[in-house]
Amino acid sequence: MRRADIIKRAGRNLRQAKGRTILTSLAIAVGAFTLTAALAAGQGTRDYAAKLLQNNVDPQAIFVVKDKSLFEQGGQTGLREYDPDVSTTATGRPGATLKQMNQQDVEYLESRGDLAQIVPVYTLNPKWVTIEGNDKKYIGSIDYYDATILNETKSGTLPPIGQQIADSDIVLPEKYIETLGITPDNALGKRVKVLFAQQGAQVNQQELQAALMRGGVDEAAKLVKPAEKEFEFVVKAAAKTSTMSFGSTPRMLVSANAAKMINDYQTAGSDAAGKYTGVSAVAKPGKNPDEIKKQLEAKGYAAQTAKDAQALLFTIANTLQGIVVGFGLLTLFASVFGIINTQYISVLERTSQIGLMKALGMSRRSIAALFRYEAAWIGFLGGAIGALVAYTVGTLMNPQISKWLDIGDNAILKFEPLHMIGLIAALVIIAIVAGWFPARKAARLDPIEALRTE
Amino acid sequence: MIEISHITKTYGKKKNAFTALNDVSFTIPDGASVAVVGRSGSGKSTLMHAMSGLDRPEAGEVVIDGNNILTFKQKDVDKFRSNKMAFIFQSFFVQANESCYNNVSLPLEIAQVPTRRRRTKILRALEAVGLTDKAKSRARDLSGGQKQRLAIARAIVNEPTILFADEPTGNLDSVTGMQIEELLFSYNRKHGTTLIIVTHDHEMAKKCDMQIHIKDGKIESIEGGVKS
Repeated sequence: MRRADIIKRAGRNLRQAKGRTILTSLAIAVGAFTLTAALAAGQGTRDYAAKLLQNNVDPQAIFVVKDKSLFEQGGQTGLREYDPDVSTTATGRPGATLKQMNQQDVEYLESRGDLAQIVPVYTLNPKWVTIEGNDKKYIGSIDYYDATILNETKSGTLPPIGQQIADSDIVLPEKYIETLGITPDNALGKRVKVLFAQQGAQVNQQELQAALMRGGVDEAAKLVKPAEKEFEFVVKAAAKTSTMSFGSTPRMLVSANAAKMINDYQTAGSDAAGKYTGVSAVAKPGKNPDEIKKQLEAKGYAAQTAKDAQALLFTIANTLQGIVVGFGLLTLFASVFGIINTQYISVLERTSQIGLMKALGMSRRSIAALFRYEAAWIGFLGGAIGALVAYTVGTLMNPQISKWLDIGDNAILKFEPLHMIGLIAALVIIAIVAGWFPARKAARLDPIEALRTE
Repeated sequence: MIEISHITKTYGKKKNAFTALNDVSFTIPDGASVAVVGRSGSGKSTLMHAMSGLDRPEAGEVVIDGNNILTFKQKDVDKFRSNKMAFIFQSFFVQANESCYNNVSLPLEIAQVPTRRRRTKILRALEAVGLTDKAKSRARDLSGGQKQRLAIARAIVNEPTILFADEPTGNLDSVTGMQIEELLFSYNRKHGTTLIIVTHDHEMAKKCDMQIHIKDGKIESIEGGVKS
């Protein structure tokens, strides 16, 4: 019998048992739905991550730390030997300690010659912020301008990529300007004052006593009271809130030099002076960041390149996808037994039909093929239903999901036609395998016995 | 020509062995109508199965047009059957959910008749049994007589040289049974197809050219034919 004829008959046989066919394929459809969604989510996440990195990370960028554990578990836990560079607060993770980069380390990086834009991680803690034309004091986050990223502006202009803003410039995020109740255009050129406090001076017993003797409690209080200093900036631009940037939490931005000055002022005289969690740098054009990373590691540092950051993001996406795919596969595994069961019953129900076909000279192979194709049709139907439902629901839900995740126009579910076709093809094959045993039973049926029934 | 010589078929093993056919021999000339007559359990169905290659006797020869089909491989027997033989059963065995057209199409598909040549053959067969207007109806909607006519259409569609009928009127009332009988005999006369009817109906047997009486797996008597 010809394949086309067998396939047609298989299709008709299934149509004649609609209820059973649909129920069996629905079991597969659940698996297909899960897998399609998982594949789409994985694809979407990877694409989004790749886009994020492309927009945010200079491929030459490299981040250097002293303590490898920062990359692995966010700092070390447990008691360790005293070292002036080890901080208990730098990681921000309770219980974790971190050996920090110090001034010599920064100098070493500068002396290498193959690194540019060497900027340590500065932590700026403003006390309050005021803006010209507004009496209120505000508090907000402040960071330094990253010249490796192209920022979009709402008003004003920013220098091209790779260039820092001037030391007197400040960039305000769109959201802050909204709170201030002015328009982005109005904000330009306004003076912004930021007050920073020093991290309390360290006073010893004698100094304190001397002060008490000199001027009483007031004098002593003055001694321990942290010094404060106002830094003044001019608004250079209003930054647009971008869904494509890592630091999508809006922050005020000052130049790296200004940040260094503030950081030095704030930490002056304290244990934190001249110590940084890490140092970011950019490999000079033509220099391979991976090569630099290797050399730095040989020197006892730890480094992460743009590639590493990408790998990390992808690993997260792949792991999550793997878990969902696992569940999908489990569902499919269960549905395989559904196919076997259905087809066995079908063989038993149709013994006389099988007997007749054998009497008419249909070969064992064709009979086995007929039942295998029926199973294949069930697999195809299940796969198509699952993939189609996942596609429809996913496409409808995408804008909503993007809104929840606050990622703008980026779709987190990306349905690749090739994935879906591949999945359906795989399901057809799985179904054929599942239909193997029932098909064999049908092929081996004794036609004489079969024709005796009824 | 069908030459059966010394075929023996046993079911079961050792103590439970049951000899369904015991050293049976006879010859059927081409185009003859033959009745295999016997009580139920006499071995007449087994004989039909052996002649058609559905069953394999452990001894003897079944020579059809010079070929001993017992020496064929299973695949070749299947092919031989699909090209040369057709069957009609007491309980019709039409595929209830398929249309009449597709029921009749099945033997052509099995025999790998090219698609373009199928339609005329199917319509001609349906016409021969008077079911032209039922071509698109599902087989389950037919009456018993119509179902058997459909089975005949399916049997004759590929112009077999041998047509086996196993109690073809057993499930039908006498009037319908007569019509079916008439159809079979007229087809046998018109096309020279060898017709082998397995029956216990002596009335019908008498209408055949040759009667083979079977009892307890042995030939009791042959009338009208040649005993080899």
